[in-house]
Amino acid sequence: MAMTELTTTPPVIREDQEVGPSVASMLWQRVRTRGSRTILREKDRGVWKQVTWEQLGARARQVGMGLRALGFNAGDVACVLSETNPQWVYADLGILGVGGVSSGIYPTDAPGQVEYILRDSGARVLFVENEEQLDKALQVRERCPKLQRIVIFDMKGLRELNDPQCESFDAFLARGEEFDRAHPGAWEDGIKAVRGDQLAILVYTSGTTGPPKGAMLSHRNIIFQLVNLNPQLGLREGDERLAFLPMCHVAERMAGLYQSLYAGMISNYVESPDTVFENQREVQPTVALAVPRIWEKMQSGIALRAREATFLQRHAYAWAINAGLRLVDARLSGRGVPITRRLGFLLAQPIVRNIRRELGLNRARCAYVGAAPIAPDLIRWYLALGIDMLEVYGMTECGGVTTVMPRDAIRPGWVGKPAPHTRLAFSPEGEILLAGEHVFMGYWNQPEKTAETIRDGWLHTGDVGRADDGYVRVTDRMKDIIITAGGKNVTPSEIENELKFSPYIADAIVIGDRRKFLSCLVMIDHENVEKWAQDNSVPFSNFTSLTRAEKVVGLIQGEVERANQKFARVEQVKAFRLIEQKLEAEDPELTPTMKLKRAFVNKKYSDLIETMYADA
Amino acid sequence: MSATEALLRVANIETYYGPIQAIRGVTLDVNQGQIVTVLGANGAGKTTILKTISGVMDPERGQVVFEGKNIAGMKPDRVMREGICHSPEGREVFPFLTVHENLVMGAYSRHDKDEVAHDLEACFGYFPRLKERAHQRAGLLSGGEQQMLAISRALMGKPKLLLLDEPSLGLSPILVTQIFDIVKRINRERGVSILLVEQNAHIALKTADYGYVIEVGRIVMEDECVRLMEKDDIKEFYLGQKEAGVRGRRRWKRKKLWR
Repeated sequence: MAMTELTTTPPVIREDQEVGPSVASMLWQRVRTRGSRTILREKDRGVWKQVTWEQLGARARQVGMGLRALGFNAGDVACVLSETNPQWVYADLGILGVGGVSSGIYPTDAPGQVEYILRDSGARVLFVENEEQLDKALQVRERCPKLQRIVIFDMKGLRELNDPQCESFDAFLARGEEFDRAHPGAWEDGIKAVRGDQLAILVYTSGTTGPPKGAMLSHRNIIFQLVNLNPQLGLREGDERLAFLPMCHVAERMAGLYQSLYAGMISNYVESPDTVFENQREVQPTVALAVPRIWEKMQSGIALRAREATFLQRHAYAWAINAGLRLVDARLSGRGVPITRRLGFLLAQPIVRNIRRELGLNRARCAYVGAAPIAPDLIRWYLALGIDMLEVYGMTECGGVTTVMPRDAIRPGWVGKPAPHTRLAFSPEGEILLAGEHVFMGYWNQPEKTAETIRDGWLHTGDVGRADDGYVRVTDRMKDIIITAGGKNVTPSEIENELKFSPYIADAIVIGDRRKFLSCLVMIDHENVEKWAQDNSVPFSNFTSLTRAEKVVGLIQGEVERANQKFARVEQVKAFRLIEQKLEAEDPELTPTMKLKRAFVNKKYSDLIETMYADA
Repeated sequence: MSATEALLRVANIETYYGPIQAIRGVTLDVNQGQIVTVLGANGAGKTTILKTISGVMDPERGQVVFEGKNIAGMKPDRVMREGICHSPEGREVFPFLTVHENLVMGAYSRHDKDEVAHDLEACFGYFPRLKERAHQRAGLLSGGEQQMLAISRALMGKPKLLLLDEPSLGLSPILVTQIFDIVKRINRERGVSILLVEQNAHIALKTADYGYVIEVGRIVMEDECVRLMEKDDIKEFYLGQKEAGVRGRRRWKRKKLWR
């Protein structure tokens, strides 16, 4: 059986000669033409301060020249180990400007993981955020023979550091400036020398099985993706966004930073990962891109606050959301919207506006969600507030987004239609295949893995899906599909998403491969369950005791039953257990985007899982 | 710990100072004959818990069950008559009364004269210094002596449960050890259960049987004290033992995980 291609017409490809072949040439073209306009903001001592294109260019140039002063050449690798912040951006663009390869390391990674990436990438220079990240590097540097230099962004607590291998970012930039004066034209010539087919960034994908692999994206991959996706995403100069997703992740790098540079969209960098929601309220971005977990958290925050509000407020909220949902239903069904529903929605506007302002989305034209599956009801909730929540689908290996939900014909539960520059097909097994110039160069130092992934000119995504009327639906990861002992194929993520829609469930993993029935492990949402327990006088002390409280188990039972109603009997979860330890981003059970890692969790909690099948 | 055997069970209490919520839902148990400690930083809500138990403050919600009876919201003098005596933070002795008078004040609600006299002798037995100064004004005592007096005054109420709020405050290390030795003796010899609030985690964990750690009004950890002392977070944040790290000096703090 042959594969079936969804996209029949030859792909529609846009080119933009203006920006040149590389991220470096794009940056410099923008810096020259947009000079004094704002491109990013950061909060400094409580005040949002702006950075212009000129300042951004100057910083990137200093970084690039600083690297050259160290003897760093085109093709050399530099890593950045930091939370998302402007320094990350300067370092990244400086590395790319001199034709280097830029690779991020998650700040939540343990020293062992840092060592793995430093060694695997053969990085010569490492940028670290602060004292804490520096200590990780110092612990492993002896085993990273290629590592020459460690540059530290924030020197707090490190005044007395005297180490020939380490220097502060300021000192590094000063040397860059000196080098620049001594070598006029070196920066500009370096930019001109960067070719499109040259490796630009290494994106390490979280290895749920085995160590992480470095996906190689070329300048051409990136530029092709930016130019073609821009009109699809509808991003333009003057747009504002909040930058908070990890820079190591392809979403923030491609659809965030680089797209901002291309479009001239202003990036507002959050103070810390803990202040995302406050910062979003302050900035009120016009466009937003986030992973489902963030959107879920925002929704459950509002839902819970409504629940504890006064009688009047509670009913006003319910009424407004319902008015919105009725309008959404009419809109999604494609039929005309009755005038009464429009009127109801209009009347609900003052309340809706308050909710939007509280979410920090009052100015948002549209919001994108990707990188993980999301529950359709969550999308409808945002639509009810008048926020166009658009699902996108893609993967690191093709530079991010490949399908986009059309705004005028939203179908919740689907990931939209293939972008015009993307070819999309299904293998006989239903695997989604992608092709186009944005398909990556392969995995760093792993030709066999590359050959497994790119076959016959198609990128094999590992996702199973189907199509209808041009829309794509992703059912699950191919290797995650459960075949029960009864022989029934079940896609766990659909059930998990339904479960996650509960404000009390942060994440869940459905189990049942070769088992008599389905079960699941639940990670409760600490804050919300704690609040519920307190409101219902359920005694508890710490997290573990909370998960053991009978009434809490009962609460989750109710949520599981609610989710079960949406599925056929064989697809229903018959037993569940709560994970008793509060998991943090540093824990190996979670990906950096706070998703549970299926394989790891299955293994680590195998005893707990067996208890569910032992009683049966 | 089951609810039936607990001498004191505090369940889901929330206490406010005006609009500010100091306790955000705290549940803890003190069993008969136990010393239980509550550890926490400044402003975590430790003192507020004790004040809520002894009736100085009323919880907005939640229960304080003592010997099976809900005493939340009772006046402090009623709570005291139920058998809970509070030795407050900063001693709060009556400065213009003599040591002896202070102690008698502690027994104000009692009418069993012989036993009061007996208890007075017992206090003097624990703290001979108080006997030497029985007729001095309490305000003239040293900090350590005042602390001895505050504990003794609480004992004079013949408590079943003694609430001790930071007895180590402002005392020299040697005096702290002495006072805690006696606290332990009082517990063992008289069978008085003790709920001890402390910032000095070292001495509190050594003295108590069971411990709770409270941060911004919530309990984040509970366990037997011997086990608590082994936890990484307790070691680093409460006992000040941290690894120096690769550079021999480490300024950054790990994220608290409470496990």
